[in-house]
Amino acid sequence: MPLVIFVDDSETALASTRMVTNSMPIEVKQYTEAQKALAEIKAGMTPDLIITDLNMPVMNGLEFLQALRALPSTSRTPCLMLTTETKTELKEQGKALGLTGWIVKPFNPAQLKQAITRVLRLPA
Amino acid sequence: MVILNSVDELLSHIKEVQQDAISLSRESLLMISNFIEKNSLEIDNDVVTALQYQDIISQQLTATIEAINSVQSSLDRFSHSYQTDENLVLESMKKLQDKFGVVLSEAKDKKSRFAGKSVNSDVPSEEIEFF
Repeated sequence: MPLVIFVDDSETALASTRMVTNSMPIEVKQYTEAQKALAEIKAGMTPDLIITDLNMPVMNGLEFLQALRALPSTSRTPCLMLTTETKTELKEQGKALGLTGWIVKPFNPAQLKQAITRVLRLPA
Repeated sequence: MVILNSVDELLSHIKEVQQDAISLSRESLLMISNFIEKNSLEIDNDVVTALQYQDIISQQLTATIEAINSVQSSLDRFSHSYQTDENLVLESMKKLQDKFGVVLSEAKDKKSRFAGKSVNSDVPSEEIEFF
């Protein structure tokens, strides 16, 4: 099964994504700190899709994305930003770093599932 | 500058209340989500939205705590310069006023930025933007 990792410092946000994706044919791993996810990726984890929050302490979503793009194993891994942020400049920064898409919270469960299905090319 | 000490204490109290509100709202929704997952209950869009609102509440309150921290830091600097040289008080008052303006402007910007689709009517309600 494809591995999808979620990174969000909000445990309630992670709970909501967990509940929405638990019926999907994917393996899900969740992290409340981007640097922990990054450490596991550096240790050999190879996610098929990364969905990250933007505003997080220590390492924010864009810094995380930048670090991912610098690693050979995740330089082209699809990444979605799942955030409350709506600022165009930040979207542009994400786009320049090869971000796949931008989802504004609160997300619609059906749309999140559709986005994952589309990016991973899962059977609809 | 006794009045400034009182303002500082009041701001510290407001921060404490806000931090408690963040913790309590998180705990309460985690209890609910644990119950849902433990009992394998089916959820609908409203439940998922409610869980995400906690995140938005938390970010909004955190942004105001950051604003209060900036105000307290400015008050502290003002209080220090006032005690050092009373002649500087007018200049310091002007700096303080300017700083408050900046803090308010940043706080309002964060209120709008961190609201997601919850209060921003100009954000399309059903849209995922692919690049």
